Amino acid sequence: MNFFDLNAWLGVWPFRSLRDNTPQTLLARLQRAGIKAAAVSQIEAALHRNVQPANEKLAEAVEPFEKQLIPMATINPRFPGWEEHLRRCNEVLGMKGVRLFPVYHDFAADGIEARRVVGACAERGLIVVMPHRLEDARQRHWMDPGQTLDLNQVANLIEAVPGVTIAVTNARGIMGSALWQRQELRKKNWVFDLSLAEVHYVLHKDVNRMRELADFIDEGGADHLVFGTHTPFSYPSAARVKAAVLPVEPETLKKICWGRANQLMRLEMPE
Amino acid sequence: MMELDIEEWLRYPKIDMHCHVWNLANEQEEQVSSEQLILSGEMLGITEFWCSSPIIGGLIASVEAVREENNTILRAIKRHPQHIRGMCFVIPGHYQMALDEINRCLDSGMIGIKLYNQYRINDPAVFPVIELAIERKVPILEHAGYLHAREDLDSQPLISHGEHFAEVSARYPEAMLIHAHIGGGGDWEHTVSAMRHGSPNLYCDVSGSNLDDGQVEWAVAEMGAESVLFGTDGTMTGSVGKVIDATLTEEDKSLIFWKNAERILAAQGARPTQPREVVA
Repeated sequence: MNFFDLNAWLGVWPFRSLRDNTPQTLLARLQRAGIKAAAVSQIEAALHRNVQPANEKLAEAVEPFEKQLIPMATINPRFPGWEEHLRRCNEVLGMKGVRLFPVYHDFAADGIEARRVVGACAERGLIVVMPHRLEDARQRHWMDPGQTLDLNQVANLIEAVPGVTIAVTNARGIMGSALWQRQELRKKNWVFDLSLAEVHYVLHKDVNRMRELADFIDEGGADHLVFGTHTPFSYPSAARVKAAVLPVEPETLKKICWGRANQLMRLEMPE
Repeated sequence: MMELDIEEWLRYPKIDMHCHVWNLANEQEEQVSSEQLILSGEMLGITEFWCSSPIIGGLIASVEAVREENNTILRAIKRHPQHIRGMCFVIPGHYQMALDEINRCLDSGMIGIKLYNQYRINDPAVFPVIELAIERKVPILEHAGYLHAREDLDSQPLISHGEHFAEVSARYPEAMLIHAHIGGGGDWEHTVSAMRHGSPNLYCDVSGSNLDDGQVEWAVAEMGAESVLFGTDGTMTGSVGKVIDATLTEEDKSLIFWKNAERILAAQGARPTQPREVVA
């Protein structure tokens, strides 16, 4: 089984020292967990106003690892000229997707800025990835807003922008999220990664809500799942453990762990 | 770096010393819930769960309400004696009635004490509970975390953290004290480092939904592998995965997954419900 990690990172988080955050060390760490390739962006771009220098740095850093590390552009739709950033990242630097940070770049995930940039990504056929959280808010530094992405807003965004492909990473509460609860969105093109979700048991006093991903899959959600780890913030093997106990057939597991992300990013990487 | 064999590590035997079963609407629901817990554990190599049913939110509930929560645990033990063990929840401010409840639960087969955030671990109101735990040779697991955001402290003003544990550990070095879930929210680096000079009987557990890389190694570096316990607090795959992935020796992981909990049980003359060699 091959694993493609839709949720990996390079660079620096200002509030905690991360290890294995360079291309070489990240790859080695992922390979230790049996993960062959990953989509990456620069962490610090989430906190920069002008994100393009970080995008340029990313493209240069991953160039020697083009078969294993797939660069994702960070776009700040509140910064003048973001359209040019997007064009250059896609057409010149060859980036296969975009990461957006509504919390850190201070815009609503269903607001006009988000709709414009997501619409532009849809026109280019680029997946848009939005982390639900970068770090656990309960340990937030006082300079970190410590808020999670509003999934109701993400649901509104998916409904509002035709042709969009959205991935929400590092989320909990997938079953109860608006993306799943709003039935009209179930046929749309969106996925969650499994990096922070549990599978067969979570603490819940409602016995109908104690199976998270297992229930999600039982209700038909397997098509909305992809493999992701949130490395180097998180331990990569935690995601491998989740994948190991997912209640799906082998062919479905292959899609979750490799095929779906490749398809959504139009990578055509051989398995 | 050598690739980890995840499947092999999933078969490795584990004792989850921090988990819960709940006081639900009826016994049928309690059975469904505990069976699902055991099933999920079997997939991960977890052979036994040390469970409690604490009253949360800092609520000073009645002694009767506390007793009812503990009866839930006793029912779960009776249903699943091979998989579920009990941690007796009490509110230390109930004083003699709390001590009586601990004795009742331990005499009924529970193996430890669970405290939540009604009192900090270093509050003198907790000292009689600690002294009884020493006498009965059982561990105390207390809900904990170094919270500093205003919104978090407002909701849990009396939550304990590493500095409180270190203080009590110095006062009662023979007490087996367990700082709960270093992955349960809050600054885990701070709370762990505060316990670096604690007695050999001061422990932390790695449970919680926070899967920050380096967490387990930090606990081992600061407190020693003999002082770090495996628990999930319901984060089943995440907690297993963080220990598997930690850059530690196999012996360190063996201590965390099994041997440290086994040593805590041995202090009171107890053993794991299933021998390690049978499940390995």
